[in-house]
Amino acid sequence: MNFASKFDVFWELFIEQGGWKRVISVGLVNTLLIAVLGLLIGIVLGTLIGAVKVMPKYKLLPKILDKICTVYVGFFRGTPIVVQLLIGYYVLWPLLGITISPLNTSIIIFGLNSAAYVSEIMRGGILSIDPGQMEAGRALGLSYSTTMIKIVIPQAIKNILPTLGNEFIALIKDTSVVSFVAATDLYKTFTEIGNVRYEYFMPYLAMAVMYMVLVFIISCGIKAMERSLRKSDKN
Amino acid sequence: MIKIKNLCKSFGDNQVLSNITETINQGDKVVVIGPSGSGKSTFLRCLNCMEDPTSGSIIFDGEDLADLRVDINKHRQNIGMVFQQFNLFNNKTVMENITLAPVHLKKMTPAEAKERGIELLQRVGLEDKADVYPSTLSGGQKQRVAIVRALAMNPKVMLFDEPTSALDPEMVGEVLDVMKQLANEGMTMVVVTHEMGFAREVGNRIFFMDEGQITEQGTPEEVFGNPQSPRLKDFLSKVIV
Ligand SMILES: Nc1ncnc2c1ncn2[C@@H]1O[C@H](COP(=O)(O)OP(=O)(O)OP(=O)(O)O)[C@@H](O)[C@H]1O
Ligand SMILES: [Mg+2]
Repeated sequence: MNFASKFDVFWELFIEQGGWKRVISVGLVNTLLIAVLGLLIGIVLGTLIGAVKVMPKYKLLPKILDKICTVYVGFFRGTPIVVQLLIGYYVLWPLLGITISPLNTSIIIFGLNSAAYVSEIMRGGILSIDPGQMEAGRALGLSYSTTMIKIVIPQAIKNILPTLGNEFIALIKDTSVVSFVAATDLYKTFTEIGNVRYEYFMPYLAMAVMYMVLVFIISCGIKAMERSLRKSDKN
Repeated sequence: MIKIKNLCKSFGDNQVLSNITETINQGDKVVVIGPSGSGKSTFLRCLNCMEDPTSGSIIFDGEDLADLRVDINKHRQNIGMVFQQFNLFNNKTVMENITLAPVHLKKMTPAEAKERGIELLQRVGLEDKADVYPSTLSGGQKQRVAIVRALAMNPKVMLFDEPTSALDPEMVGEVLDVMKQLANEGMTMVVVTHEMGFAREVGNRIFFMDEGQITEQGTPEEVFGNPQSPRLKDFLSKVIV
């Protein structure tokens, strides 16, 4: 194996011919878009599902909603994300007669998928809040949902922020499969560079380094956030 | 003010309240005493349906709160409640704790609620704490804020469940003082407490609860001075030193 020549080829394609520009402006941007927007969708939807899960279940409506959420979470946690992407892109959209771009498909599916995981995190977060907070709200005449939205969920979110950070890292790593539905992410752009000379050694090595750096930066961000949260707890 | 009729409450097979019938009148200062586990908290919590009665009725403002069809949130706005553990909203400042409900429930504009909040905080000597978070307050300060929060809704009656039991001894006085002040202003109050001095001084009626029933009641003079049942005598001999 001639490492020097592999490196020269990569240097020529990646640096001299400007291949890095597409890797950053398309690959990295799309990877981050899918992970960030996916997580946002996941947080919104996951909070709703988590809230349904902790609702008192005397009445019929919460019971039905709870069943639906259980099936939803079961599906998204019980099947591989690749399968979910393929089903969305090649089965569901055609059935519904709609066209959604590979990138948007990835964002939607990752959002729906992460909602299932976030809902479990959120459920735990809500249950970790002292029931006295809900009681105090209800005793003042506030409704269950108002107390949930204004008092309980904000405190729950604060408690689970570090866990959500880990979910974000998991999402970033999982996005490397979106090329199954022809979306262009980091993996895809590095593969394109490899395809030029059928020489994948350096591109994939560089890709691995890039994922590692990305995850490292995010981990540092989470740690900083945890520290500042701990400080604000003491205030 | 509150008419309690044949109130029963069970948790599963465990009957905690049996057939309580009682009337709480405007201006009453009812102090509920009794051994641990006798159902004092459950009784108090049934009054604003924090626990739904198993049977019986709670008539307040002409409606039966035990009826699941009545708008319980509307009535709770008129029934203040103070908890042993304070239960201040941790994610809100003191002022936000006080103004949240009156503003959200459209009882007051934000400006009115703030003005009322400042006025009430001044009354309990905590006006300088308006913008801090509850975690920075001492237990006694937290409980005074919790009382202010309940008062900000201008309730017709205030329920207290052992408001001083979670406090360090040196802070009990400051909270009892606020409650005495409230009593002097004519507030209708139902107080579960182990503070027998407070019961004697402030209460006009004492309920002694034992095994889910109010087995004896009367003025402080009657209950403390001339207890009838052996259970009450026994209880008093243990709590009064
Ligand atoms: N949510 C609940 N679920 C099941 N059992 C309960 C519940 N709340 C209270 N109980 C039971 O009801 C009984 C009376 O409890 P309650 O809290 O009303 O007593 P108490 O007189 O307030 O006692 P303490 O002085 O210890 O506060 C106890 O046996 C308790 O175990
Ligand atoms: Mg109690």
